[in-house]
Amino acid sequence: MMQLPACVVHNLQDEYFSSERLFCFLIDENYALVQIWGDAQRWGLDDIPIGHDMRDAAVFLVGCVIGEPQALRFVRLSRHSVAHVHLIPDGRQSYVVLIDASDEHDPTQAKQQKTNELRLMHARQNRLIGRQRELISELIEIRSELDHHRQEAERSSANKSRFIAMMSHEFRTPLASIINYAQLAQEQDASRNDIQKSVETIERSARHLTSLVEALLDDASLSAGRLELVEEQFDCHNLFEDLARMMAPMAAEKGLSFATFVDSDVPKVIFADEVRFRQILINLLGNAVKFTQEGGVRLKVTYSSDRLVVTVSDTGPGISSEDQEKVFKAFERGSKRSETGAGLGLTITLRLVQLMGGEVSLDSQPDEGCTVSIYIPVNVQADPVAAEAPVLPVPDQDALASRPLSILICDDDDDMIALVEHYLHRSGYGLIATSDSSDAIAKTIKYDPDLVLMDCNVPGIGGVGAAKLLRQQGYEKPIVALTASRLNEEERRAFTRFFRKPAPMQELLVEIKRLTH
Amino acid sequence: MTLFTSKVCIVGDFAVGKTSIAERFVNNHFSESYLTTIGVKIDTKLIEVPDLGVSHKLVIWDIAGSDRFEHTEFAYLRGASGYIYVIDGTRTSTLRSAMSLEEQVTDRFGSAPSVVLLNKSDLAGDWDVNESSVKALHAHFGAVFKTSAKTGDAVERAFEKLARRILDNDMRAE
Ligand SMILES: Nc1nc2c(ncn2[C@@H]2O[C@H](COP(=O)(O)OP(=O)(O)O)[C@@H](O)[C@H]2O)c(=O)[nH]1
Ligand SMILES: [Mg+2]
Repeated sequence: MMQLPACVVHNLQDEYFSSERLFCFLIDENYALVQIWGDAQRWGLDDIPIGHDMRDAAVFLVGCVIGEPQALRFVRLSRHSVAHVHLIPDGRQSYVVLIDASDEHDPTQAKQQKTNELRLMHARQNRLIGRQRELISELIEIRSELDHHRQEAERSSANKSRFIAMMSHEFRTPLASIINYAQLAQEQDASRNDIQKSVETIERSARHLTSLVEALLDDASLSAGRLELVEEQFDCHNLFEDLARMMAPMAAEKGLSFATFVDSDVPKVIFADEVRFRQILINLLGNAVKFTQEGGVRLKVTYSSDRLVVTVSDTGPGISSEDQEKVFKAFERGSKRSETGAGLGLTITLRLVQLMGGEVSLDSQPDEGCTVSIYIPVNVQADPVAAEAPVLPVPDQDALASRPLSILICDDDDDMIALVEHYLHRSGYGLIATSDSSDAIAKTIKYDPDLVLMDCNVPGIGGVGAAKLLRQQGYEKPIVALTASRLNEEERRAFTRFFRKPAPMQELLVEIKRLTH
Repeated sequence: MTLFTSKVCIVGDFAVGKTSIAERFVNNHFSESYLTTIGVKIDTKLIEVPDLGVSHKLVIWDIAGSDRFEHTEFAYLRGASGYIYVIDGTRTSTLRSAMSLEEQVTDRFGSAPSVVLLNKSDLAGDWDVNESSVKALHAHFGAVFKTSAKTGDAVERAFEKLARRILDNDMRAE
């Protein structure tokens, strides 16, 4: 170390000691105080007797090792005092030197404070940036999702246009024949035979249109998941006979055989959606008859483990496994619609079966015919009274009113009113007609007709509402719905009876007579 | 009553709440404002351990924050009986700092009783430390406390746990 002249050293030492307010004490190996130099009061270390354990008063000594040199910078000993502490060993004793660091502390602190605050701000900023990045990537994701949806929508709208074009074609054919034959029937020189033939064709075309519309509506409701089953009890043997009566002539026309086999195990009365069940079977049988050129079609019904097993087999051209796959795939994909009317029917059939909790199996090879089996879980109705409910006979006699009766009809379609009026007059009923449901209520209250025939989709509060209101107002005679809408069970309860348009007039008249006599 | 005196060091990155934790424990007080600690601040607090018949005087060294110890800081740590590692739960980087500080301490002085404080638990909305990290801390330290110097939540328990570990350690050593 550099050696300075003694007088210089002394001089500097005096200067340093006076400015730095040095304080020093000596402790032995047991931390006992040996001697003190300087301003003890400044450090709160005055009045300590020699020999006292200094760790009490100078707590920083706790854990310190006597005999080792040590330097602790900026030790805050109290609110107002900060010191650099030096332990300087001397044999088995140690000098403890405190150098006041208060003046030095504040600028150091201020500098460090600034640095730390900057770092904190930086950290906070980084977090915000991170969060921002997250948000941006979320945004990007959302955008690509939206893009995807938009493309989907465009695709679906293109599909829709194609579908509409196809449907309008399907509609145009029967419409054209209706118009042409209607004109033909009106021609001056039309023979009775011409007229008869025209009317028959018009009726067939109209029925075809009706079924197209129903298929469309079903498809729309199925796609939107809005189709509800309306379950009720019905005689399924009757249904199968009915179908046979309907299909056998169609098959015969093409020179095909038609056979029905209903196993004796099949319960008579079941609880299911009859309309939908019928629709499924008509579709399967209709397709079978349509595509089979020779041979025949067979309907077989068995019952096992609470399920009706209905098998429709034909000797038609069959379906290649590729096409089978297509049909089922289109179905599974929930594809909105297939390319042809028949395909639409098949897809609907499959979906209806699924809706009824059933399953479909298809067994076919090209040129070897086709067998479709559906398995429909049904609730068996054991009530023998219900099972034997009489089916009304339908001779004309039953339609005629045996005493003068008045019927109120509410329908906003004038043609419909005219048609019903025609039949009711012929059967001897008096008629009150209105096209507004609120007016219907007023007139019913005023004239108290023997029966109300109500369309559901009419101006005013609507048919269902009107029926409910009439009941509230104490009208107790039958209210019969005659509507193109499909009613749910709750809505049906508002009516005594429910007829779906187009309803067979004869059946309607019989029912009106039954209800009013 | 026997009097035990132990030196305890609070370490961790800057602004994690070391000073606030000490202030809460010693004076039951909290301040929102941030005042950077320079060097070291020394405080004492006596806790009674009746079941062991011991009064335990903790000499608490609140050491200036850093993510790495240098020569100056090692001087402060000499002779410590236990360590409190403080992490700011709203800044994951301070978890890494605590881990690396602990490694430095163990390298230099061997393993010692310690606890970990996940501080600022009152700021749940800004919480940045995930559960798997908490589990890892548990596995490593055995004692992890979600503390708040602001509400005082779990602060005392954490100190008592450390004190207990120090006593166990000292008694085993004797
Ligand atoms: N909300 C909240 N703030 C805290 C808590 N602990 C400390 N702080 C704040 O965090 C900042 C840094 O605290 P401080 O004790 O100085 O941190 P140190 O640098 O580790 O000593 C200060 O503004 C404190 O008020 C806590 O538990 N909750
Ligand atoms: Mg601090």
